[in-house]
Amino acid sequence: MATTTASLTLSSSDLTSDSLSISATSTLYKAGTTIGLDQTTGLTKKVYATAQTNTVLVAASAYSDNGAHKLYIKNVGSSSTDAFSLEIDATGLNAACAVVPIGKLYGGDFLYLPWEGEYDIQITTTATDMELEYMIIYEA
Amino acid sequence: MATTTASLTISSSDISSDAISISVTETFHKAGTTIGLDQTTGMARKTFAAASSNQNIALASAYTDDKAHKLFVRNPGTSTTDHITVVIASGHSVIGKLYGGEFLFIPWSGNEDIDVTTSATNMSVEYMIISEA
Repeated sequence: MATTTASLTLSSSDLTSDSLSISATSTLYKAGTTIGLDQTTGLTKKVYATAQTNTVLVAASAYSDNGAHKLYIKNVGSSSTDAFSLEIDATGLNAACAVVPIGKLYGGDFLYLPWEGEYDIQITTTATDMELEYMIIYEA
Repeated sequence: MATTTASLTISSSDISSDAISISVTETFHKAGTTIGLDQTTGMARKTFAAASSNQNIALASAYTDDKAHKLFVRNPGTSTTDHITVVIASGHSVIGKLYGGEFLFIPWSGNEDIDVTTSATNMSVEYMIISEA
């Protein structure tokens, strides 16, 4: 059984009058179990020569539904103005749903989230020649 | 100007033949700038006595749209079967499930509400938003 861990620290000495220091660590298990996630895409890099609109980054059809998959994405650029917009596309499952914006990753920004494998993850870019890295750690 | 950072490490020695060891750090800036985010909710905690659906933790109308807000959510429990489902846009889109001890960290544009649904009684959720006007 593979053992994979994720640790996050949020810190600031001056955001509030009380210093911020939050640490969280979790071991990545299959849904509802204590069995470690055992598959990964590895760290993948994508370069978009042209600006993209609602381009599928991660296709849900390639992953099992209701999994405890984990998704990491980083904008590896350095621009403070160019960004990747991350979106969830649930339109295939429910006509009442839409492509929903989550947030934007500017240069150096990253995200880490659990992902059930039911909805595609899409990206929209603001410029040409933008690069990102992502990795999925998942279960069958 | 406030300086706030997030550091993430993902590591495994045995998920593949090549060990994974990813460490990244980012500094939080206002959208399209190098000015630090300067507002926060602090770490909030809610406990739900009963299993509850679509309980709001981030109300989009209270935040400016299309900004570089950050959202941290954690299930502080220890159960490997009970979970918190994090959803966006009034339940239409599930982001994912947080089992005991799990967390997420995402940029949040402030355009859509973030809600949680708990799978059992007496579950808690911790969350924090770091934001800009």
